[in-house]
Amino acid sequence: MAQNRVLVVGSGIAGLTAALDLAEAGVFVDVIDQYAFPGGQGIRLSCKATDTCVKCGACGVDDRLGKALKHPNIRLMTGSGIQDVRKSNGFNVRIRQAPGFVDPNRCDNCGICLSACPTERGILQGTSGHHRPFYAVNESACLYVKDKSCTACREACPTGAIDLDAAEKTESIHADAMIVAAGFSIHSPLEKPYGYGVFPNVMTSPEVETVLKRRGRLVRPSDQSEPDRVAFIQCVGSRDAKLNHLWCSGYCCGFALRTAHLLKHHRPQVHTTVFYIDIQTFGRTFETDYKEMQESIRLVRSIPGDIYPSENESLKISYLKPDTGETLQENFDLVVLSVGMIPPAGLEALSKTLELRLTPEGFLGDGNGTKPAGVFPAGAVTGPMTLAEAAAGGARAAWQTLQYLKSP
Amino acid sequence: MVLEYSPMETQSIIALNTLEHGRCRPWPFLQDFCLTCGICAGACPASGVDGFDPRKLVRMISLGMEDETVSERWPWICTMCGKCANLCPMEIDIPGLVRKIRSRRRREEVPGILHKGLEAALETGNNLRLPKDDYVFILEEIAAEPGFEGFTVPIDKTGARILTTIHNKLVNTHTEDLKHWWKIFHAAGEDWTVPSENWEGTNWGYFTGDDAAIRKFWKNSVL
Repeated sequence: MAQNRVLVVGSGIAGLTAALDLAEAGVFVDVIDQYAFPGGQGIRLSCKATDTCVKCGACGVDDRLGKALKHPNIRLMTGSGIQDVRKSNGFNVRIRQAPGFVDPNRCDNCGICLSACPTERGILQGTSGHHRPFYAVNESACLYVKDKSCTACREACPTGAIDLDAAEKTESIHADAMIVAAGFSIHSPLEKPYGYGVFPNVMTSPEVETVLKRRGRLVRPSDQSEPDRVAFIQCVGSRDAKLNHLWCSGYCCGFALRTAHLLKHHRPQVHTTVFYIDIQTFGRTFETDYKEMQESIRLVRSIPGDIYPSENESLKISYLKPDTGETLQENFDLVVLSVGMIPPAGLEALSKTLELRLTPEGFLGDGNGTKPAGVFPAGAVTGPMTLAEAAAGGARAAWQTLQYLKSP
Repeated sequence: MVLEYSPMETQSIIALNTLEHGRCRPWPFLQDFCLTCGICAGACPASGVDGFDPRKLVRMISLGMEDETVSERWPWICTMCGKCANLCPMEIDIPGLVRKIRSRRRREEVPGILHKGLEAALETGNNLRLPKDDYVFILEEIAAEPGFEGFTVPIDKTGARILTTIHNKLVNTHTEDLKHWWKIFHAAGEDWTVPSENWEGTNWGYFTGDDAAIRKFWKNSVL
């Protein structure tokens, strides 16, 4: 009997978990990801361990990516998206892969291309040791791709690893089944009253994760100093009827509490404040962890309503003090917005190509009748969830796929 | 820990039988969707004044505490600026709610300055009780100032394309500010007029939450 072949769309924690489970069961798996680096949004998460592990799950993404890259039954293609799908005894899928401008065999990850590039986000930087090459030319921002007007990175590269004339590739593969683990997008808080994009020291939760993972410490964008007073504002773009985002995004309370706890561990003099509506974290150890964290983190049950610039690029936040009913203004060196998860950009087009139905919220339904046979949604593409839930969803989709392959 | 409650809160704790969740439910301001996140109070320029807290006000209405909010000072502290409603993630119309509460108060208990201002505006066409002759005199005097050669104020011109009204400070302390748009109208050759009676553009019924007065006010101006 010929080896089964499955296409996994998305190389985040859900897609990687599904791919590894299938690969272990003898299935050949093609994993495609539209981004230049594999690992999804989870790959840029930083380890939050203090003296002990706090079970954030970040290492799990690195771990699975490392295993997937080595697995003989897994082929991982980045910069790749589905062009079209024809059903014939499974799926004939045409895949377009963006040009691989940086030769992984020549690149020694020095980063000179990044400093040489005059365009914002023209060169993208990886976030994991498994990202090789660690740098990629961003097709949608590169000036050479646009009008051949710049070759700065190619000239600067000491190993001659950059080929700006590399061509895109198209290939067709046959898949017996598909797993759609297309992940999520992040709500952009530009319209919220917190001056994101205006004040340099207002950051989003993913930006904080990336800085922590790259540098090991959280520093302010304005001057690279470590902040003494840090505010976390929860539910930015979640639980919001105006945006039609009525959901709780699920990950953000865990993010804010673990990060605040970590900052306190790095520098005991740091004051961390979490502004919240209610704390949504679950699990066996939640109550004890929560109580312990309350001792070191100030929790304020109120969402701030305004922000003003203050001296030394710090920020003055206006909020209601719930116990006294006063409206206060307080200074912080850094403000972190815990931004919500939303359906991934491009999901509508993908759902049309794959004939998948979307939920009223815009995510992929995982219930009966919402998908054609042989297509299995997994992870946050079905709705906001934590890393652990997405991994479990990937494993579930792999199991469903194996059942389907046995008796389609 | 000693909790301090405002008199109103103490009262509501004692009088639990006043809570009736369904009481204000038909009100169309979405108050029952409140998550009590507090973004309204964090943004409100008047929050904290005499303990005013829009989050609590919304919750009181959601709990059916209509009488308590009507007799409280809070609705009259609100400036109706609308910042809260602009930010509220659940789209609760807090200024609408405040106006509804104001409209529920007995008219003679509406704060004096607003009550008297509305009364004067309804009786005399302006809250200053400025007599018609004085008002026309002020307008014509401004129009006689240098820079207005060949210009007359088109008072009570029938059939004009644009009817303008006036904020009371423009014929009181800020007469200079009248000139700018007069000049624009004049230069543009606009066909416009300003009434000699019921000329006040500020509808005082909005301040007191008096819908009947609002209608009467506009009828006076337009008809």
